[in-house]
Amino acid sequence: MAVEKRHFVCVVCPVGCEIDVVHDGSKIISMEGNRCEKSVEFVSQELIEPMRVLTTTVRIQGSKWPVIPVRTDKAVPKRLFPRIMKRLRRIKLQAPVDMLDVVVKDVLRTGAHIIATRTMQRE
Amino acid sequence: MTIEVDVAVIGSGPAGLTAAIHAHKSGARKVLLLEREEELGGILKQCIHNGFGLEQFKQDYTGPEYAERLVKELEKTGVQCFLNTLVTDLSSDRVITALSPEHGALEIRARSIILAMGCRERTRPSIGIPGTRPAGIFTAGVAQRFVNIDGYLPGKRIVILGSGDIGLIMARRLTLEGARVIGVYEIMSYPGGLKRNIVQCLNDFEIPLHLSHTVAEIRGRERVEGVVISKVDSNLRPVEGSQRSIECDALLLSVGLIPENELSKKAGVELSGTTKGPVTTETMETSAPGIFTCGNVSTVFDLVDYVAQTGAVAGTCAARHALGQVSKSKKSVDIVAGENVRLLFPQRYGFQDDLVLFIRAAEPVEKPVTIEITPPGSKINRLYARPNEMLRVKIAKGKLAEIRQPIRVSIREK
Repeated sequence: MAVEKRHFVCVVCPVGCEIDVVHDGSKIISMEGNRCEKSVEFVSQELIEPMRVLTTTVRIQGSKWPVIPVRTDKAVPKRLFPRIMKRLRRIKLQAPVDMLDVVVKDVLRTGAHIIATRTMQRE
Repeated sequence: MTIEVDVAVIGSGPAGLTAAIHAHKSGARKVLLLEREEELGGILKQCIHNGFGLEQFKQDYTGPEYAERLVKELEKTGVQCFLNTLVTDLSSDRVITALSPEHGALEIRARSIILAMGCRERTRPSIGIPGTRPAGIFTAGVAQRFVNIDGYLPGKRIVILGSGDIGLIMARRLTLEGARVIGVYEIMSYPGGLKRNIVQCLNDFEIPLHLSHTVAEIRGRERVEGVVISKVDSNLRPVEGSQRSIECDALLLSVGLIPENELSKKAGVELSGTTKGPVTTETMETSAPGIFTCGNVSTVFDLVDYVAQTGAVAGTCAARHALGQVSKSKKSVDIVAGENVRLLFPQRYGFQDDLVLFIRAAEPVEKPVTIEITPPGSKINRLYARPNEMLRVKIAKGKLAEIRQPIRVSIREK
């Protein structure tokens, strides 16, 4: 693949280094603007497959509130967010739910579980 | 009913929870936490995104997880909590008047009081947008509550005015839930929120950010039908001929937060014109003896970790005061803003502890800077200074012992 230039803002920490990267489509050829080495790993991953933690809500019955917050228990490919959201729209939990309870196992075969991020009592 | 306690805490967000835990840890026997909502945790309950607690707990928590961790810690202490309890009055001699369906009218006499009421969002009247007054105009935090707790979507085609962090977070959240966020418009020439939120919330979802733009008019009778967007010049005035109409059914405002100090005013606590919160010393004590402050009621912090840290200090010092463990010396010096400093917290130094100083720059400097603190003449280097990211520095008590004149803080290019 041809050599290309791309601009990144590193999101590993709050500093937010602005990085200019020369790459061949999947590997870094050179980069400048980063203040530490953590950006190298971040940019390498961004070139192959940007990964993020997804946080959202799913419906719940029998509790004080109609929805409960959830997240993936590790970063998943960002491009799968719309499909994961679609999958989660079909879910309706029953209270009680404990914080960190697994809501969906191995969502879309990403290896990540969807877990509840709060406790919700039965009311 | 009249109750007597060592320490009463008003508000159970991250500041109040941490303060109550630390008041108990520091030996206060009777600690009472008052919360007007039906659950503990404050605004963290609706902040379902991650990125909380990286500094405090070395963990990447969501808001509800952070809150639940503090609540579990609190439950081990025996601190008493009154929920659904609204504080209606506070006097300078530390008497709280409160109402609750369970306990009725309450009079609470406390040896120490901790203010932890948090902050409130600025609304349409506080920025004065011309046009009609239809339904569909929400502050970003209210929209966040509708989506994340009540399960409603506030609109399908959404314009966001202001690039504060809550607005950025909501741009992503609404997009995930299927709404179309047309754009985020910011009157200033630089964004209000953290850079990483611009990347993760806007760029990741291809939501445009328009700097130096504002909403010049709101259109629609019953419901928002659209807004007029205008470019602004360097004096923040609309640029003639730059107006264009955008159709939308909701307008979100993320235009700043103001500490909520109605109760502090009732107690006659001195407020700062810059932070809009109580003037305090490093022990978080306000101008009213025995009344302490922490978290966003003091000044609006960027990170929950900073909020919790001030809560820990307030809790510890409020317990010391309640137990009569404080020296009577009321000596203090002012801390004043010098070059490129918009605000400082705390605003006084009372010679009790190390000074942990939170500083907000007036103008962005994207180069290495030196923070000068004189006296004692400390110079601290940072990689940059940005108005939307507070700087925090610590100066040891020993270095400050001999000071007699005000402490001046400046940010200079290195």
